[in-house]
Formats: sequence, C-alpha cells, structure tokens
Amino acid sequence: MTIQAPRVSTPPVLDHRSQTHSALRERFPGLALPGLIWYAIFTIGPVIAMFVIAFLRWPGMLVEPTFAGFDNFVDVFNDPVFWDAVRNSATQILIGLPLMILLAFSLAFYVVRKPRGHQVLRFTLFIPALISAPATALMFYSLLNPDGLVNGVLGALGFDDGRAWLADPATALPSLIVIDLWAGIGYSAVLLASRMDSVDEEIVQAAQVDGAGNARLAWGIYWPIAKDFIGVVAMLQFLSILFSSAQNVLLLTKGGPGTETTTLSYLIYQKAFVDADLGYSQAVGIVLFVIGLLGMFCIRRLLRASY
Amino acid sequence: MKMPRISGFLAWGYAALLVIPFYYLVISSLKENDDIFTNPLSLPSTWDFGNYREAISSAELVPAVANSVIVTGLALALTLLLAVPAAFALSRATGRAGRLVEATFSLGFLIPTFAALFPTFLLAAFTGLFHTRTFLVFLLPATAMPLAVIILTQFMRTIPRELEEAASMDGASTLTILRHVHLPICVPGIATVVLLCFLSFWNEYLYSLIIIGPDPAQRTIQVALPTLQLTTGTDYGVLMAGTVFTLLPVFAVYAVTQRQMQKALVSGAVKG
Repeated sequence: MTIQAPRVSTPPVLDHRSQTHSALRERFPGLALPGLIWYAIFTIGPVIAMFVIAFLRWPGMLVEPTFAGFDNFVDVFNDPVFWDAVRNSATQILIGLPLMILLAFSLAFYVVRKPRGHQVLRFTLFIPALISAPATALMFYSLLNPDGLVNGVLGALGFDDGRAWLADPATALPSLIVIDLWAGIGYSAVLLASRMDSVDEEIVQAAQVDGAGNARLAWGIYWPIAKDFIGVVAMLQFLSILFSSAQNVLLLTKGGPGTETTTLSYLIYQKAFVDADLGYSQAVGIVLFVIGLLGMFCIRRLLRASY
Repeated sequence: MKMPRISGFLAWGYAALLVIPFYYLVISSLKENDDIFTNPLSLPSTWDFGNYREAISSAELVPAVANSVIVTGLALALTLLLAVPAAFALSRATGRAGRLVEATFSLGFLIPTFAALFPTFLLAAFTGLFHTRTFLVFLLPATAMPLAVIILTQFMRTIPRELEEAASMDGASTLTILRHVHLPICVPGIATVVLLCFLSFWNEYLYSLIIIGPDPAQRTIQVALPTLQLTTGTDYGVLMAGTVFTLLPVFAVYAVTQRQMQKALVSGAVKG
C-alpha cells in the first residue's frame, strides 16, 4: 500500500519488519482487538446470556437450572403485575417523552435566539446531567416528603393537604415523571441548541423580513432543520427513561404503593434480586430489550430528516 | 429581537427549578428537622456542620469516596488503554475488517445492555470477583468502549497520512507514531472522553449496587449515600449533608472545566 519504507535509509532488518507490520495492519486492525474483546465479554456476553436464561427454570442462584422452554414467557404474560409494569412504563414514556422533547425544543429555541443572560442559562441547564441518580433521588425524597419544600410552598399558597407525594397512588407515578422531566429537559435543550446554533442567520432574517413571527420561525425553520437530530435526542431520552427508571423507583418508591410505580426495568431488578425468579426476570429483560429496539425504530421513523 | 414573554418566563422558571433545589439542599444540610419544616427557604440561624459529621460517620462516606476515586481512576486508565490503540488502528485501517469492527462499536449504542443486569452479576460471580471493586473496574471501561472508540477514531482520522508516512520513513515504529504523532493531536478528544467517563463512572449506581454490595470497605460513594435513608431515617438535615458531600467533587470538576465539560457532554451525545 502507500506506506513503503525506503530501503536506503533504514537498516534492512527493521525495514522488513515494518513492512510486514504495515501489510498486516491494512488487513486487520489488530490494535482494536483488545478493546473489542473486552467489550464483547462484558456487554455483549451478558446480553446473549440473557437470551439463554430466559428459557431456563431457575428459582434462585443456588438451584440447578433446568430447561423451561417458553414457560417463563407464559408466566410473564399471565402475570397481572407484568401488565401493570407495561402500563406504567408506557405512561412514563408516552407522557414524559413528548413533553420533554417539546419543552426542550422551546427552551433551545429561546436560548439560540441569544436573549440576555443566555450564557448563564446554558450553564444552568447542564446541572441535572452532572448529578448522580442517588443524589437526584435523595433531593426529591426530601422535596416531596410530607413536610418537604413542595408542601411548604403549597401550604404558603393555601393548598397544603400534607400529601405524601411518593406514597400516594394518585401522585407516585406522576412524581417520577416530573423527576424525569426535571432531569431531562435541560440536557436535551442544550443538545438541541448545539444543533440549532448552526442554522444560518440569513435564513432567519429573510423569514423575519417576510413577517414570520417566533412561532413560524420555531416550527417552520428550526424544527425541520433540527428534526433528525431531535430524533437522536429523543432516542437517547427514550432509552434513559425506559431503563434508568429502575434507579429512581428503587430509591424512591420500591415499585409501590402496590404496583403503582413498578416499571418494566424495575420489575427485572425486583424479580432477579428480590424474588430470585431468574428465568422470569430475564424473560422480562428480553421484552424490554425488544421494546427498546422497537421504540428507537419508531422514533427514527417519526422524526426522519424531511428536507 | 423581541422574544415572546411567555417563553422567557418558561425558560427562567425552569432554570429556577434547577437551582432552587440545590439552595434548599445546602441550607437544609445545616439545619435541624424542625427548622427545615417550619422555615424551608430561610437561611440557617447558626452554621452547624454537625449534620455533615453525622452523615460522614453513619454512612462511612470517607472510605466510600476513596473507593470511588480508586474505581473511577483505574477504570478511566483502562478505558484509555483499550480505546486509544483501538481508535488508532481503526483510523488507519482501510479494509473491510476495520469497517466491521467500527460498525460493531457504533451499534453498541443501540444495544440496551441494561436489560442484561442479572447476567452481568452472574459474570461477576463466575469470575470470583463478586462483591469487589475490581469487577467494576473491569466492567465500566466496557460500557464506555463504544463512545470512547468512536470519538477518538474521529479525531485520529483528521491526522493526515503524510505525517505518519514521514515518521515511518524516519524509522519510527507503530507505537512511536502513536505516541508522538497521534496522541498530541488527540488531546482534545482524550479530554472529552476522560470528562464523559469521569461523569458516568463516578455517578454509576445500579451496577455498583448489585456487584459491590453493602460492604463498607468496598462500596462506592453512590452506593453508600442512599444507605443514609435507612441509618438516619427521616433526619433530612443529615440526608442533605450526605448528598451535598457527594456532589462536591462533580461540581468542583464542572467549575474548573465548564467549557470543556459542556463540549464533552454535547459531543458525547451527538456521537451516540
């Protein structure tokens, strides 16, 4: 190929070696192997194992597993708790995700028009992306407790009914959705803003000369230009809500009251590490895996580049 | 230009919702429960760091911070050790194999590996590294591999082949070229990867919880923090003190690296 060490300038032995090296390198990127193998062992391996375990009857780590065929899936689909989890995850995503994306887009539109203080705003919007799930959860745990700040503020406005937001069936799941929104809007907005910053100022000015207001500007120019990227951000947040909801549920509600906040990802955790029903847990894992892929496919179709 | 008042109101309202909880967090960490409940937003009457002492001793936060530093540091080193050569090789590979490996890493973003939480736990048990920090040090780089490799490969692609050929004509070995030609040019890319991995490793919770378990000598800060819910019950001042203590390192890094961190967070998501 292109790399040919000149024979005159280097000792012949070295020359020979470096030639075989470069020839090999062109054929296979050997230095990528350690990274690839590492990745395969620790992330692809467990995914494959999940597909095996889902077909085993395995009631606890110390019991010898036996082949179960589709029994685990039959159990899962006949279990009302599973359908509660499906309903909760669906609620969380169908309400949380569109709200998050629309609010993030409006916020990004506001930021890219560079109003006064937009840099302070950008700095602030990153904050939720920096802090860990336990820290976020504990913060909301104290904000939402019956004597917390939320009830304190409501009380000052004359609405206090001493509600335990996370323990009340009417507000437990909505509270979790609010936490998703709190954490997700800012980061999504700065991501969208990074793309919308590149919109040509001349187009915007031309549109304004033609009398386009802010709404026309946002939906007529920025939305279509950023559309495919909005899709990427939506996928990112979709996966994050679908999967990391387990952490908030675990830290704040343990799936309760009843099964009001048992989401699919929490159900996997609960069945594996609390109830020790390993086959069941991994069958739900496969369902979640498939939902993850299907959801990304749908978002991609919905928010395809249209220009 | 004139912005409609309502969107400005929404934007700053949301910003306030981001900041007020932190204000509440910090002032509550210096108060007793009664004071928190009756005057939620007023400054503490006395500056009492007793809650911090209580949080640090009851959740054993000092060894937990040490463990987090060890896990994050070693995992970061391992990530770079694996990802830099991989990106180097992929940026120079011209054949089908190179494209295939790169595609594998790109697809890595789309695999929802979280669903495989339990098999990862099995792997830890199988390798005898269950209930240790060590397994986490091995696991975290694998989760970061797709992002790290893709970002670094893109940086290394910008290096002209001529530069490398000139070096190799001067008799430089592959590793010398990597060290003296590619690494210096890739410093911004490496900084991006380091910041992103620092955040995700330092903040990692669920895997740490199930793999390291409750042993105070091994567990990380993120696993130790929520134990305050159990040990101190509803003593919110102590709870908030522990939370502030956990957040300090991250905010310190953000304060120092603002621009870099913002760029890293944006590019990390864009590549994904």
